[in-house]
Amino acid sequence: MTEYNNIKSKVVDSIKAMKKGPLPMRIYMETCVKCGTCAEVCPVYYGSNEKSLNPAERSDLIRRVYKKHSTISGKIFGGLVGAKDFDGDDIDKWAKEFYECTACRRCAVFCPMEIDNSVLTRKARTILDSIGKTPETLMRVIEVSLKTGNTDNAPPVALTEATSFMEEEILEETGVEVKMPVDEVGVDYFLVPPSGDVLVNPESMMGIAKVFHVTGDSWTLSSRAFDGANYGLFTGSDNDMKEDNKLYVEEAKRLKVKTMMMGECGHAHRIMKFIMEKNKWWGDLPFEISNILQYTAYHIQKGTFKFDKSLVPEPVTYHDPCNFGRSCGIIEEPRIIMRAACEDFREMYPNRGENWCCGGGGGLSAMDTIIDFRMNVSGKKKVEQVLATGAKYVASPCSNCKRQFMQLMEYHKLDIGTGGLHDLVNRSIILDGQKKSV
Amino acid sequence: MNGLKFFVGNILPYIAFVVFLTGMTYRIYTWLKMSSPIITLYPVPKGSSTSAVIKEVLLFPSLFKTDKVFWGGAWIFHVMLVFIFIGHFRVVTDFPWLWNLLGMNKEAVDTMSMTSGGIAGLIIMITVIYLIFRRVGVQKVREISGFGDYIVMFLILAILLTGNAMRFFQHFDLSETRVYFAGLVAFTNPQMPANGLFVLHFFLAQMMIVFIPFSKILHLGGIFFTQTILKRG
Repeated sequence: MTEYNNIKSKVVDSIKAMKKGPLPMRIYMETCVKCGTCAEVCPVYYGSNEKSLNPAERSDLIRRVYKKHSTISGKIFGGLVGAKDFDGDDIDKWAKEFYECTACRRCAVFCPMEIDNSVLTRKARTILDSIGKTPETLMRVIEVSLKTGNTDNAPPVALTEATSFMEEEILEETGVEVKMPVDEVGVDYFLVPPSGDVLVNPESMMGIAKVFHVTGDSWTLSSRAFDGANYGLFTGSDNDMKEDNKLYVEEAKRLKVKTMMMGECGHAHRIMKFIMEKNKWWGDLPFEISNILQYTAYHIQKGTFKFDKSLVPEPVTYHDPCNFGRSCGIIEEPRIIMRAACEDFREMYPNRGENWCCGGGGGLSAMDTIIDFRMNVSGKKKVEQVLATGAKYVASPCSNCKRQFMQLMEYHKLDIGTGGLHDLVNRSIILDGQKKSV
Repeated sequence: MNGLKFFVGNILPYIAFVVFLTGMTYRIYTWLKMSSPIITLYPVPKGSSTSAVIKEVLLFPSLFKTDKVFWGGAWIFHVMLVFIFIGHFRVVTDFPWLWNLLGMNKEAVDTMSMTSGGIAGLIIMITVIYLIFRRVGVQKVREISGFGDYIVMFLILAILLTGNAMRFFQHFDLSETRVYFAGLVAFTNPQMPANGLFVLHFFLAQMMIVFIPFSKILHLGGIFFTQTILKRG
């Protein structure tokens, strides 16, 4: 009982504190008109019309407690104005339901008030984290990442083994020696990929290596910092997010690079560029932050590369990851790359800022405990959207999206390939002196 | 009964005025001084963020993209509200200089306000009934609706019913209300017009004004702030 009382007072105190701001916390408590538009545009609610999946209802879990403790009307009229105290049952309800939101921010695009429910989802997850109710899977990912610097529990030698393997692959395939530098000091670009692109899906990294090979710019990977993934964004823990981020900034300083180049990972880019840098977590930085998508697109427009599009003949479509599109505005660059590298690029509809989430956003993609939910509910719309394009490959520059897509295709027995953007670049870019493809 | 009438006509108006003004001032003040993290939503609108916010407030384009019928109902409802609000200036006072400027005599002005006000009063009734039906009839809206959502709708409906009844079913001389409101402003303790419908209409309207800072109607000020949070470059 005392434990419950402790939990309750922690929850209630956190919600009461929302009255002091920041602005979204407070005003999102006061301005929802309950029009139902968020439900109309939510990928999760689309997958299953259940009250608990209605975004306004989910956000109301917080609003009710806020009204109960922080508003005059709630204190006087209670339930009549929708105020309700936090009680014992709510702990598990919160722990389940706030991890059924993919934090994709699509509701914010269409909400007439432009209320961003993902902000409230993250707030609730922050509260859950403080009472030890973060899903175990995500907690483990964070522990591993803080210990090893990557989410795959891989030692530094795993990276150098992977890069040697990829260098050999490229040499064998093209006859051209393409270097993948590791731990080089004083180079232009420090590439921070998601570890999956190094250890699991190397095609994307090979594409990036070829891009640098052609542009001739100096670059490096780091053997102790090769995973931009940072789950503190998903669990709502700013401390974990900062802790996880620290190594990367230190490494960029140690390597004395001009630019930290984020790889194909949406939330990693968002944290570096829009959260860490903008909020000056570590003061002024001696390097810039950019993204490989912007870099490759820039060089495509400059005419730096030669492509043989016939090497990617199948129809391909592009999925805008929520974090790259809606949250970072990297929207046209991927399309420049797709058009240059593939013969038959098809848009899915809607797209860009209005794209539907893959169903694995907000950290859900890593949670196999809710695989049926991800495959049948949150990912339902996405499958329909992809099928409508007739594409045989879905490109998405985000490890979370990629994992979700791979599982979706497998689960629904669809013969559609999945992967990143530089995977396609890897297939169709032509290096000088390259032997004829087989 | 007389005591009640005195309260509605001579005390409540001051309470409503003060509650509304302090309530709204408090809200807007707290919003203004609060910091906000940068959580821009891309792609950022073309042009300045101010013009994008104004466009959103005036035309509801994001709603238009989602549900055209609902957009129509909601937009017409709000536009009519603004019309009716402006029309009520004549209830409080008259504008002879404006009519002179427009070259209109008293009959012409009365006809104009009777026609435009009458039409607006009917159209808004239709939209309110549609919005109530939508709230009750559409699952995703019904399941998130609470007492607070319904009370606001029915309060507005009741205000409209009494207002329309006055306009269509009885002749009501606005000079009475003008004298009364002038008296309220001058603190001369004026007699409220003795029309039962007016008393009810005026009472309900005051209830709504008191409600605004504490209910969902607060979105009439909040929208400028919520829109701005995500529309910064």
